[in-house]
Amino acid sequence: MTIDIKALESSLLAGKRRGLAKALTLVESRRPEHRALAIRLLTSLYPKSGQSHRIGITGSPGVGKSTFIEAFGKFFLEQGHRLAVLAIDPSSPKSHGSILGDKTRMDELAVHPHCFIRPSPSGLSLGGVARRTRECILLCEAAGYDKILIETVGVGQSETLVSDMVDEFMFLQLPNAGDQLQGIKKGILELADMVVVTKADGVFEQAARQAVVDHELALHFMQDDEDRLPVRVMMCSALEKKGLLEIYDLLQSKLMELTQSGRLEKRRSQQREQWFVSELNDQMMDLLLQDRSLKKNVEKLTTQVIQGTLSPTEAAQQVIASLGWNAGKE
Amino acid sequence: MSNSYRTGSKDLSSWENLARKDLGAVPIDKLTRSTPEGLPIKALYTAADLEHIESLDSLPGLPPYTRGPRATMYTVKPWTIRQYAGFSTAEESNRFYRQNLAAGQMGLSIAFDLATHRGYDSDHPRVTGDVGKAGVAIDSVEDMKILFDQIPLEKMSVSMTMNGAVIPILAAFIVAGEEQGVKPELLSGTIQNDVLKEYMVRNTYIYPPEPSMRIVGDIIEYTAHHMPRFNSISISGYHMQEAGANSAIELAFTLGDGIEYVRAALAKGLKVDEFAPRLSFFFAIGMNFYMEIAKLRAARTLWYKLMKPFEPKDARSSMLRTHCQTSGYSLTEQDPYNNIIRTTIEAMAGVFGGTQSLHTNSFDEAVSLPSNFSARLARNTQLIIQEETDICHVVDPFGGSYFMEKLTDQLMNEAERILQEVEAAGGMVKAIQQGLPKLKIEEAAARKQARVDSGQDVIVGVNKFRTQEESHFEVRDVDNTLVREQQIARLNDIRQKRDKAQLQQSLEALEAGARSNGNLLSLAVDCMRARATVGEVSDALRRVFGEHRAPIQSVSAVYASEYKLKTDFDDAKQAVAAYALEEGRQPRILIAKLGQDGHDRGAKVIATGFADLGFDVDIGPLFQTPEEAVKQAIENDVHAIGVSSQAAGHKTLVPRLIELLKLEGASDVAVVVGGIIPQQDYEFLFHSGAAAVFGPGTPVPKAAVETLEAIKRKRKG
Repeated sequence: MTIDIKALESSLLAGKRRGLAKALTLVESRRPEHRALAIRLLTSLYPKSGQSHRIGITGSPGVGKSTFIEAFGKFFLEQGHRLAVLAIDPSSPKSHGSILGDKTRMDELAVHPHCFIRPSPSGLSLGGVARRTRECILLCEAAGYDKILIETVGVGQSETLVSDMVDEFMFLQLPNAGDQLQGIKKGILELADMVVVTKADGVFEQAARQAVVDHELALHFMQDDEDRLPVRVMMCSALEKKGLLEIYDLLQSKLMELTQSGRLEKRRSQQREQWFVSELNDQMMDLLLQDRSLKKNVEKLTTQVIQGTLSPTEAAQQVIASLGWNAGKE
Repeated sequence: MSNSYRTGSKDLSSWENLARKDLGAVPIDKLTRSTPEGLPIKALYTAADLEHIESLDSLPGLPPYTRGPRATMYTVKPWTIRQYAGFSTAEESNRFYRQNLAAGQMGLSIAFDLATHRGYDSDHPRVTGDVGKAGVAIDSVEDMKILFDQIPLEKMSVSMTMNGAVIPILAAFIVAGEEQGVKPELLSGTIQNDVLKEYMVRNTYIYPPEPSMRIVGDIIEYTAHHMPRFNSISISGYHMQEAGANSAIELAFTLGDGIEYVRAALAKGLKVDEFAPRLSFFFAIGMNFYMEIAKLRAARTLWYKLMKPFEPKDARSSMLRTHCQTSGYSLTEQDPYNNIIRTTIEAMAGVFGGTQSLHTNSFDEAVSLPSNFSARLARNTQLIIQEETDICHVVDPFGGSYFMEKLTDQLMNEAERILQEVEAAGGMVKAIQQGLPKLKIEEAAARKQARVDSGQDVIVGVNKFRTQEESHFEVRDVDNTLVREQQIARLNDIRQKRDKAQLQQSLEALEAGARSNGNLLSLAVDCMRARATVGEVSDALRRVFGEHRAPIQSVSAVYASEYKLKTDFDDAKQAVAAYALEEGRQPRILIAKLGQDGHDRGAKVIATGFADLGFDVDIGPLFQTPEEAVKQAIENDVHAIGVSSQAAGHKTLVPRLIELLKLEGASDVAVVVGGIIPQQDYEFLFHSGAAAVFGPGTPVPKAAVETLEAIKRKRKG
């Protein structure tokens, strides 16, 4: 496939759906020559990015993320915003294939002319997701989308990665999950800017109220962070259409306050720094591994590490030593 | 001595010794096979197998009805030959019905088009490709009157397959009868009205489960009071089997649905004996001959047991009566005359099982609607069994068979076990809301497909004993555009002539009744009298109830685990991997269901199969328009769109899809089409720009490889 970067760029900037879609494909591609082109495109578009609100949404499977986004996204569209939804779906480690069914749950957003939805397969490396998602946000911004929702399945470390690239990180929780707050959930709560208890309807409404109280209590014991606004716990029912507008209003006022207080800019500058560090790591690694004998050596050492005949630290030192650099010495 | 050959079959050792000689090196337990239900089938059954079977040695017409609901069964009156049919306009279908009745058919069974099922008038923009296609288009009582022209409704038993738009359609039927001079109490027949299975398999629902259950209750209530000869519901397992369920799942979920309807009617304040005698059932009869006979025997026995706690006084309340239809899934496009033989075998299983009425499929139904010729053969299959053989002369001829009695008992136990799971989940409505039954059926479907594709399950002419010889026969083709124009003309005419004030008033009363607790059928009868359309009545209810949106869940890795013919599978997987390496990403395909066709088994099987081979698969929502599919395809930058068509919309919708892709500058997206597509439409589709067409029975790995080839061709050109 030959790619005309100039044409792609102007198509994207002209707000062509297909231009943005093709650009997203390009940054997601695993081919090295595509990467080079992607970097050119991103470099050129970088000054046109940053003009959106970036909102991360996560929660366990079944918590109702898509239903929430469908209802929530409509508010943005009604206010005349252009909305992009980036969803990350897991790939199968066995076949490398995936089923990307999310759009099926956002019927109304999917057909809206001002909404762009793109589910992406997670691929196989977690780091890869983060790198591409950051770049995808940038492309959507350059294409004129001013509200960007990033949806991930709440498993593994993806929450940490997503919280590092958004302005507001929303964590969706089921009503009956309140009593398990102690363990892992606490780690997630430290990342969240807003907790939303979903499915607060019918017989679950009472449980949802309890869950709100439980979360507030748990948050109470966390240290204040002056760079962030207080974490709020909300509840809603997409079924009974309750609580959604309140969450939307709260989000809007939080974003406004973040902007006015300068906290948003501070957060983004920190994120840019993190992005740089991880880009540097990734690009250095990519570059080094272009050397075939080094790559072979790394593969050989990996096998030994897996077999347990070599310690990971020792293996890393051997790689660095093979470059002629000193590692772990004065 | 009269019984001098009795060897005492409880001791099998002498038989086993002989069997071992026949088997040679093969161990004897190889003779025990496992069915899709997970039941062991031995090579030999003896008197020892009959111990501990409760329902053994009962009598037909008496509880628990294992041997049949009537004492004399077919010895006095054979089952009703009831062929399901409908297509095009009401005029066309009416002509077809009258021909069939003259040729020996005894009851009518109406197939409606998908626009009608989903409560849309023929001029609605979402249904352009669906009008008149998989059934007859009915927009108002005027169409209904034409449908039954010269067919006396006080004499003719009419079955209507309708679940979504059940309120306006049954109301139109009542008014059509009224205007023929037939009072509701004289109308006989059945309305399917089984909405629960729609959420599991067939997807022709309109409203969410709770208001839909209320509609079912309203219909049961109305018919209990006004239509004593009419079956208010036909609780259907048929579509579950068609979607891939095995007999135990079909049995369990169907009876489970039945119990929910009983509860809904009781909640309306009805007494069990007021409605339970009018509940009827509908099962599929597939190629597992013994199992299907056992299924009907087990169904009657189990229903009797399940109804007991409701304490019916009327014996008919716990007597399961059923309609059966031979399996459409078992029919093949390849070597299609084989379908006549398949249908005959299935028909016999239905008859030995003791069905009350039967539909036999036409041999061409794997590709199209039946022609006059194929419909005659299908009907004659039943007439020959009834008239030429001695099959009807004995009640429950399999009764007392060591094997059949044991199988009946085992199947019933397995179904009861699944039913207990359902009850533990809070009943069928709750289980359906959680999506559990649907996933269970889809998993069974993916397994079945993998067994067929890899040759473990043999289908003659498809994966064994293939023939090169082509079969030429005429296929019924409906000109969808013409039908739509005719329907629109009639709609415009009705809208002009009717009394606007009366119409407005009746629709408002219906909406108000929906908000409170008026009987919706009774209110809709007034609307239909005032010449409201099916779409207008459905819209009034939509305003109150909203629409159901199905979450699309899918199983994964099931196909791969069941697929035993590794070479094909691995070859396809390698081809996908090679392409992914070259392209920098996995090949990506959107599986689209266009139009109102909700049969998504094929789409789901393809989705999970393709994902297992390494495709990134986007599953489009049900009922997508070509415009919506193109938007999704472009945003997701897919390499291909796979259109799954089971209901004849392909000739309108596929060309439109390709045209829209062209308009968007996305002609490099390959469009492939799969499903029920007659051979003579292939040329048309290729000519319209389709890159590949997959008929029924195409193995998933083959479809995947051909899709990849199509993608590559597109990318080059």
